[in-house]
Amino acid sequence: MNPLREAQLVETRRHFFGRAAGGIGTAALASLLNPNLFGATAPSTEELGAQDLERYKKFAPKAKRVIYLFMSGAPSQLDMWDYKPQLEPWFDKDLPDSVRNGQRITTMTSGQTRFPIAPSTFKFNRHGKNGTWVSELLPHTAKIVDDIALLKSVNTEAINHDPAITYIQTGSQLPGRPSAGAWVSYGLGSMNANLPAFVVLHSTVNGGFGGQALYARLWGAGFLSTKHQGVSLRSNGDPVLYLSNPDGMSESMRRRMLDELAKLNHQRYQDVGDPEIQARIAQYEMAYRMQTSVPELTDISGEPDSVLESYGSDVKTPGTFAANCLLARRLAERGVRFTQVFIRQWDQHGNLPNDIRRQCGIIDQPCAALVNDLKQRGMLDDTLVIWGGEFGRTVYCQGKLTQDTYGRDHHPRCYTKWMAGGGIKPGISYGETDDFSYNVTKDPLHIHDLNATILHCLGVDHERLTYRHQGRDFRLTDVHGHVVDKILA
Amino acid sequence: MLSPKATPYFLHCCLLTALPLLAARAEPVDFSKEILPLLSDNCFGCHGPDASNRKAGLQLDKQAQAIVKLKSGNHAIVPGESGASSILERLQSTDSDELMPPPDSGKTVSPEEIARIKRWIDEGAEWGGHWAFEAPKQPVVPKTPSSWNQANQIDAFIHESLHSAQLTPEREADKETLIRRVTLDLTGLPPTVEEIDAFLADDSGQAYEHVVDRLLRSKKYGEHMARHWLDAARYADTHGLHLDNERTIWPYRDWVIDAFNNNQPFDEFTVEQLAGDLLPEPSLEQRVATGFNRCNVTTSEGGSIDEEYYVRYAVDRVETTSTVWMGLTSGCAACHDHKFDPISQKEFYQLFSYFYSLTEKAMDGNVNLPPPSIKVPTATQAAEKSALDQELKDVRNKVTAIYKSIDYKDARAGETLGELASKDTVWFDDALPKGAKRDGNEGIDSWKSVNHAGRKAFVRTASESLSQHFFTGAKEPLEISQGDKLYTYVFLDPNNRPKTIQLQFNDGSWEHRAYWGADRGHGNGRNNASNLKMGRVPKTGEWIRLEVAADAIGLKPGAKVNGLAFTQFGGTAYWDKAGIVTIAPLPEDQLASFALWQQYRAKTKVPTLPKEIQKILDTKHDERKDGQTSKLTEYYLKHINPKTKPAFDDTLKREGKLKSSLETLNKAIPATLVMEERKEPRQAHILERGEYTLKRDKVESRVPEWIAPPVEGAPKNRLGLAQWLVAPNHPLTARVTVNRYWQQLFGTGLVKTAGDFGVQGEHPSHPELLDWLALEFIESGWNVKGFFKMLAMSSTYRQSSRVTPEKLEIDPENRLLARGPRFRLDAEIIRDQALAVSGLLVEKTGGSSVKPYQPAGLWKPVAFGGSNTQAFVQDKGDKLYRRSMYTFWKRTSPPPAMTTFDAPDRETCQVSRARTNTPLQALVLMNDVQFIEAARKFAERVMKEGGQTADERIAFAYRAILSRRPTDNERATVRSLLQEHLKDFKAHPEEAKKFLAAGESPRDEQLEVTEHAAWSMITHLVFNLSETVTKG
Repeated sequence: MNPLREAQLVETRRHFFGRAAGGIGTAALASLLNPNLFGATAPSTEELGAQDLERYKKFAPKAKRVIYLFMSGAPSQLDMWDYKPQLEPWFDKDLPDSVRNGQRITTMTSGQTRFPIAPSTFKFNRHGKNGTWVSELLPHTAKIVDDIALLKSVNTEAINHDPAITYIQTGSQLPGRPSAGAWVSYGLGSMNANLPAFVVLHSTVNGGFGGQALYARLWGAGFLSTKHQGVSLRSNGDPVLYLSNPDGMSESMRRRMLDELAKLNHQRYQDVGDPEIQARIAQYEMAYRMQTSVPELTDISGEPDSVLESYGSDVKTPGTFAANCLLARRLAERGVRFTQVFIRQWDQHGNLPNDIRRQCGIIDQPCAALVNDLKQRGMLDDTLVIWGGEFGRTVYCQGKLTQDTYGRDHHPRCYTKWMAGGGIKPGISYGETDDFSYNVTKDPLHIHDLNATILHCLGVDHERLTYRHQGRDFRLTDVHGHVVDKILA
Repeated sequence: MLSPKATPYFLHCCLLTALPLLAARAEPVDFSKEILPLLSDNCFGCHGPDASNRKAGLQLDKQAQAIVKLKSGNHAIVPGESGASSILERLQSTDSDELMPPPDSGKTVSPEEIARIKRWIDEGAEWGGHWAFEAPKQPVVPKTPSSWNQANQIDAFIHESLHSAQLTPEREADKETLIRRVTLDLTGLPPTVEEIDAFLADDSGQAYEHVVDRLLRSKKYGEHMARHWLDAARYADTHGLHLDNERTIWPYRDWVIDAFNNNQPFDEFTVEQLAGDLLPEPSLEQRVATGFNRCNVTTSEGGSIDEEYYVRYAVDRVETTSTVWMGLTSGCAACHDHKFDPISQKEFYQLFSYFYSLTEKAMDGNVNLPPPSIKVPTATQAAEKSALDQELKDVRNKVTAIYKSIDYKDARAGETLGELASKDTVWFDDALPKGAKRDGNEGIDSWKSVNHAGRKAFVRTASESLSQHFFTGAKEPLEISQGDKLYTYVFLDPNNRPKTIQLQFNDGSWEHRAYWGADRGHGNGRNNASNLKMGRVPKTGEWIRLEVAADAIGLKPGAKVNGLAFTQFGGTAYWDKAGIVTIAPLPEDQLASFALWQQYRAKTKVPTLPKEIQKILDTKHDERKDGQTSKLTEYYLKHINPKTKPAFDDTLKREGKLKSSLETLNKAIPATLVMEERKEPRQAHILERGEYTLKRDKVESRVPEWIAPPVEGAPKNRLGLAQWLVAPNHPLTARVTVNRYWQQLFGTGLVKTAGDFGVQGEHPSHPELLDWLALEFIESGWNVKGFFKMLAMSSTYRQSSRVTPEKLEIDPENRLLARGPRFRLDAEIIRDQALAVSGLLVEKTGGSSVKPYQPAGLWKPVAFGGSNTQAFVQDKGDKLYRRSMYTFWKRTSPPPAMTTFDAPDRETCQVSRARTNTPLQALVLMNDVQFIEAARKFAERVMKEGGQTADERIAFAYRAILSRRPTDNERATVRSLLQEHLKDFKAHPEEAKKFLAAGESPRDEQLEVTEHAAWSMITHLVFNLSETVTKG
């Protein structure tokens, strides 16, 4: 930390807790000491609809925090994880009707006269103690298969991006519900007074953005208090919106202005007695502290070379997936409950082999590095890492199929995600799919089950973490979801 | 005159905490208030109106069912005999298998609640309806023996409950507080210093009332009221789903503003929005009003299934309409009978049916105006259009007259056109075309000019991978006509032969490739216009002309080629001039023959011909229909024949000008999305679990009659639905509406759950008052301004909002209103207030939405690559300073300074906003350029208008934004801070300059820099005061 800044922070505390002439009142003191102003520790009763505070905390939490690596656009399970060597002779043969069984498909391929099978062009090899099959696209992730639980039977009902990503993030295909991170912020609050409980990171691909859209609702608070919405930590401009003082205003001027502001607000409090004023005084102090804590968070100059190297060369370019993975670890270290890293451009309807190679080249090393990094710091035990997208991709080709290239349409009926760390059994593979990676044949894992299990790892009963809105007790998993015991450590 | 008599506090905590329900128990238990919520919350999940999930055959929402003998032989409830009622045993059972509600439900019933149920059973277990579903009854206005000042009946109700709670109202707030409160509440902007002075100077008894009347007449009133309504209407400027492209529906927004300003009665306001299109001969405005139910989010995501979205849109409209007018959470019934309220799934789909038969398409096409939409010209535009239309008609008549005067005979009618000459035009040779921007693998260095084999050429030796030099941006592009061929010359080194060479043309897109040799991946195996295989690599060691037909690589007639890329994989190649081979124009003597011209055009199609004319030309002579030949002749004589054409020239030019003026005008006339009914209604069905694929019984449009009977003679469409909603005997609409208005001024509704008046909603804090207000509202002819005036005139509203520790403890949320309303201002008001006091606010009403300052890089990281709201382009000038309700609302990335202060995302209907207090809000006020700039401009006003001394100026600043003068303490604090800032800036004048550079509005250069900066720090401080963002 900047030494000048540090001195000022100490001064601030002295100002409020000791020196303050006239005293700032015990209520303000208490609220300043309360580390949970950002997103209350637990639902505060003043929130309309907040439910009984403790009843949803039913289990001892294994995970204190979550890092969710979200692959927006839907990566192909067939080319990365769900190994189907038996498909080779099926090249360019039609998917048997008995497999599809009349299931609905998107209107992008429903007009195709044929559904020719496109076996993956990528080689798979066995890795780890259990000989887990992993695609050649993921040489680094292959090295951590013993640390992760591969979930091959994840499924959803949504067949298009907007409803599907809204569904997995909020439990409903329609806008309006709180996101998973917001639920966690609401239920568990923040562990760090100076940072939000829920942070969102957007990753560039080859220096730019593009691909399937994301929506503010994916990290929104829905009907929960807006303080639970995810705060984007940006790689350009202010990392947190409006963080920097305006040009020409020195830190000392800001400090002086805030001191006088607090004094004036306090005078007003004494005149009108509104406790909101006390709370606002505290919020300004926290804003001031964020001005220091956020730049310190994003400054990776203190990271050892070995750590930086493990994430790959992109790590030094802010906004890359590698840089965001490292930031996610730094956020986790600082007690941020829920960090979600988004990377787009997985929507490979055509030219899949080339595009997926590029995407895997971007994510493979940082994913593995993150898990290893957490492990080395002893943080993997209480940090839940989740990887994956909103649905899977079809075994049949969209567009023209050749020996070298093919495209795959959206496939909701089975796809692969992985989880690691806090509360998850490492080194396992859960769920099975048929020979065409089309239907689940064993241990289906619906996205509601996934969300239920995530909350379970955090010590939260997904059926009891509710919020009453418009007469109904809502929860992340709607009226569904079962904790998947078999993947729990 | 309105100050209440001071009453000493004689309050005892024990008394007060027991207040709500346990007061004197002489009255019988009130089923609706005390029992129904208990049953609903704890039992209805399994024993309520939803038949499909009912357990053990027990139904507790209706008396007749609740008292029957159950399969077990028990009776859940025996009226008058709590001992025989098994419900009480089950509620108190120690056996976890027997206990109700089941332990794993997480629900518990307290001993006090069990005692209440027991008492109710013993009192006869009288069922009643839920209060909100019973029509409001005219209550007796209480006559509390109180000397407290009562301005109108509202106070009588409020005072009665204060009296029984042994609370005393506050005295009337001082005039400065009052004018700020009421001005913010009715216009969303603070009063000006002049308005404050006028009010202070007015000693008459009507001074306050005059202020209220003035505010209700202000145009700002309509804007402010509309903003609240637009939250409910989920109004925004983008579609919301997937691409989230722009949509134009702001004329609807402006309609809402006008409706409030014209004080349109709420019943008409309702009917026009829900069914304006179905009124007899609807006016333009009435059709614009139907935008209400076109504000919902829509999609055009590739792969989506239409049927699914027709259902989703209709569901959204039912939910929104139910929430806004009835406070009913009907959405639950989309999947099953409502668990708590008596609305059945069938009734839901009957409502759904009203909204299921629109002419809109499921896919919005990502266009600005997905149909149906209508043009909404202003009066000036309408007049201008009709003038232009008339003039155009006149000019066309003139053209016809000229045409009739021509006597043309084709002297060469029988002749056949000979071989056409072709014309070779060099596009560039040695030097590139004007404007060409050179680029390549090594940037501009990719272009190496040498002399080779007798020519000046560009040489390139390539690695095995893609290697190219190219240019784009030629100012005089090659315009493609039918049959054109493009060519270029190449000389391949015999000792270093490329594997592949390729030409690639740019007409805005680079998807036009022709290659010789191996396919090296551009097209991923495609062999089509974007990647055309031409054959083997040409012969080496000599100049070769590479020629490709324009249409074979997808360059259609009319395409304008502005760039060319020379690509090679390996080898050394010399590249020389490029050009185009076109067919030569027809000589004038032949052009004068209608027959020859037709033959010429048959061989050479050009993009410039009107489609209709081209179509005639394409039709064989003997197959042409009546009139086609004469049409063609007319065209030929007007535009082609060198002898007859000059007679038309001036008139046609005039026609062209008029047409383009009309086109410009038409483009300038805004349009907006509206509702329109299909001619053939779409059949609605009950959808099992709400799944669009699981159609069950057919249903027709019909209102839930248990709420209110259908209106006699009303049509069975949306109009009938709207008329039913505003029928005087409808128990919900008026209550729900007045409750929202109450919430607007007092912070919380009389029913706290403004969006839920159902059984699970909160019981009203003042049920009689709510009924009285609702009936009064209907009685007044749904007079909205009148209603707000009544609220604002009440002494309840006018009380001081100071908070005493006692009242805070007894009534922290101020539900009993023993003090005036006090809460944080809405996001929009906070910004608008800063704009207003700084003098930046541009007071224009309506118009298209604007894009004021927003931090860079918010849209790109989330937007779909092809979205037209991917790049945020900030507006300039006046558009930076419009009221916040005009800020462009991109749903998937709404303006952050607004959402940080709890503005909703506008994806779904919202009838009440959260009011949080967070550090991110502090950061907005501390650092957003909008507020820094406003502080600078406010400082200019303070220095110029605020007087000469620091004290006078500080007082001016306080009065401008807080409507009051600073206290001595405050003045001293601010003054000393001013001195410190002055000292700082004097020591660092360059910092002062930087600080004053915020924002795009010009600075008054007359003002001394350091002083201006120091005062800007003071106004910045004032903007950050808690009081500034609070209505008190």
